[in-house]
Amino acid sequence: MAMQMYIITFKGGFSQEASRAVQRHVRQLGGFILMVTPNGPIVAVDDSQAAAVRKHAAVDFMGGVSLNPRGRAAQELQRIFTENLSKQITIPAAGNSQLDKV
Amino acid sequence: MGVGQDLLNVPFPQMIFSMAQAIAKGQLALDKSSIETLKVLANTQFDWLPEVTEVLFARPIKITSGNAPANTTVTGVGVDTEPAQFTKLTLLQAGINPTFYQFVDSTIEVKMSISSTTSSENSLDVGVDVSASVDFFFGSASISSHVNYHTANKYSYSVEGSSLLRTELKPAPHPQRIFPTFITVDATDPAHVKITKT
Repeated sequence: MAMQMYIITFKGGFSQEASRAVQRHVRQLGGFILMVTPNGPIVAVDDSQAAAVRKHAAVDFMGGVSLNPRGRAAQELQRIFTENLSKQITIPAAGNSQLDKV
Repeated sequence: MGVGQDLLNVPFPQMIFSMAQAIAKGQLALDKSSIETLKVLANTQFDWLPEVTEVLFARPIKITSGNAPANTTVTGVGVDTEPAQFTKLTLLQAGINPTFYQFVDSTIEVKMSISSTTSSENSLDVGVDVSASVDFFFGSASISSHVNYHTANKYSYSVEGSSLLRTELKPAPHPQRIFPTFITVDATDPAHVKITKT
């Protein structure tokens, strides 16, 4: 399982409806929304699910991106990504962790 | 037909050419997609707050409560916060780069299973029948013989083949010529304007 970051744009430009629909689709496929930009969201999706996201009716383009740590606002972007991720990831309680059984 | 000939008949040059052609087409499509991503990133702006200025200044506090003597003053600090103006920054400037991919470790695997069997079956059946009878006036005798020869040759030759074409796709560093150079003109001190390229 390899998660990759992608930027998504919509057919006919950005709209709230398209953005929400695609974000829901990404979440259903096990992906995460890292940031929403005026052109479309930046998402993290498993390689195997990328094609399924591309097939969504509202998606116009989906391109792989990576974070350059030397970018002007790389730290700010990282903070935004982390903050948004924390809202989507549920960390299991200490006693219920699957790791305890190993 | 021999085993050696069958191995020679495997269209390796054609397979390698087809694979190379497929990789080249795939690479071209990937590069086009990465350049398209570059355009999207360069055209997507967001509001960036580059800095927040905090000015610390002395703000002595007079203690008026408790048993403190009158006019007791302790050091205090005030903070004036001054956010800079929001600046439009593209995602590309901010630090999001398009990912470029390249094909590595391409392999062609051909598996062949050749089996050849020959079997020969011969059978010979020779028989002689003699019969004789003697009567009062005459006698008779008959002799009959038969030869049955059966031969069967079975020959089977089968060739089964399967081929596997495998290639690996990995992220690659962005090509220098495709990626823009950022030219920063630092004019904060008009007397000493600095130009840097990154």
